[in-house]
Amino acid sequence: MNLTAQDEIGSYVEEVRQALGGLPATTREELLEDLPEHLAEVLAEGDGTLVERLGSPSAYAAELIASAGLADGSAPRPPGRERFAHLRGRAREAIKRTDVRVGPLLGYARASEFLVLLRPAWWVLRGYLAAMAFAYVFDDNHGPIGLLPRVGGVGIDLFAMTFLVVAILGSIWLGRRGEPAGRVPRLLLRGSSAALAIFAVVGFYEMDYSTRQTAFVGDYVSNQYSSVQDVFVYDGQGNLVSNAQLYDQWGNPIRFGEPGCIDPMTGNWSASRSLGYPFCPDQAPFPGETPDGSESTPPLEQKPDPAATAENRTKTDTGPTVEPADAPSVANASPSGE
Amino acid sequence: MPRVDPTQLLKGVLDLAVLAVLRDDDGYGYDILRRLRAAGLEDVGDASVYGTLRRLFNSGLLTSYVVPSDEGPHRKYYALNVAGREELQRSGKVWQGFALIMDDLLRERGTA
Repeated sequence: MNLTAQDEIGSYVEEVRQALGGLPATTREELLEDLPEHLAEVLAEGDGTLVERLGSPSAYAAELIASAGLADGSAPRPPGRERFAHLRGRAREAIKRTDVRVGPLLGYARASEFLVLLRPAWWVLRGYLAAMAFAYVFDDNHGPIGLLPRVGGVGIDLFAMTFLVVAILGSIWLGRRGEPAGRVPRLLLRGSSAALAIFAVVGFYEMDYSTRQTAFVGDYVSNQYSSVQDVFVYDGQGNLVSNAQLYDQWGNPIRFGEPGCIDPMTGNWSASRSLGYPFCPDQAPFPGETPDGSESTPPLEQKPDPAATAENRTKTDTGPTVEPADAPSVANASPSGE
Repeated sequence: MPRVDPTQLLKGVLDLAVLAVLRDDDGYGYDILRRLRAAGLEDVGDASVYGTLRRLFNSGLLTSYVVPSDEGPHRKYYALNVAGREELQRSGKVWQGFALIMDDLLRERGTA
């Protein structure tokens, strides 16, 4: 057993405390007052764990209640609940069997011995979850919830941190007090703990999803298209479309690169005169079918800048392009002439 | 298991037994438990003694004081007060009367 004596005593006392949950808090604490010292004596006396020597904490608590002449506070059950109580008893037995069976996997006699050690960690987590749940319900800015319990606008991180610390301390305080004596507060505490656990699971998956989503979008934008400087659109016939405008499904213009060209020879940048993509028709990646540029204008095209067209033609002409005798209209994309 | 269950009997007389082992010497919880076991009440439960001490203390038959110890935990000693001694006498007489009757009964029937 890899429990130190202090841990073992602590967890035993804690379990007895839980089992005494039906008693008023003052009576309970009075009963538990010198139990740790007493258990230390028992442990020091000989070998064997506390459970081996004293029996289970719940049995110990029951004996304590009986011998101290205290009523458990649990009134006899009305007959309608008999069946429910029976089922609950069976469930409890099943849990006990699992407890004993799983324990050795964790290196403890019973799984609950290990779980009891985790109880303070749950208190901290519960405080955090309560703060987050509060922020989730009462925050009015409807932004992504994030990891801090923010309530209100931006710039309240300090408040959020303070709120978080207070919530965690409160949860620890509540945990150290043990279960409340009254039936209603006890059920209330258990119910809200269960709700927080569900909130945690849902929140966890949501957070996981949004984290992966962000990473995906980030890759998409930054890696795949960030180096795009120009766009070349080809029609069904393989003709380069000039002055193309790109829009997404919401009608927002899609912009790539700067509207200008870098001369591959000199490296100089000059502003493009195209009204759309491509900015630099003479740098088309598939020049084979390319008509001789944007100057063979369809009727609907705006008045082209003579200087730009002249420049384009010159450049295209110098390239390896096989220039058709009569360039088809780019806009019509039909091989027929005007 | 005989019809007479020692643990059941013990429940009726544990108060008296605890008062009795405190008659001459004060003691702390574990010490009292040891005295009871040494006297022959080997089945006495740890929690029973512990709870009994609390109950006797709460009903005003015992006083308690804490003795700090250099090694090991501080110990809460219990001592009989006047009310406790009176109770010991009273209950002791009840038990002795009861035990005598039982002895007589067993002697007449059992040895006949």
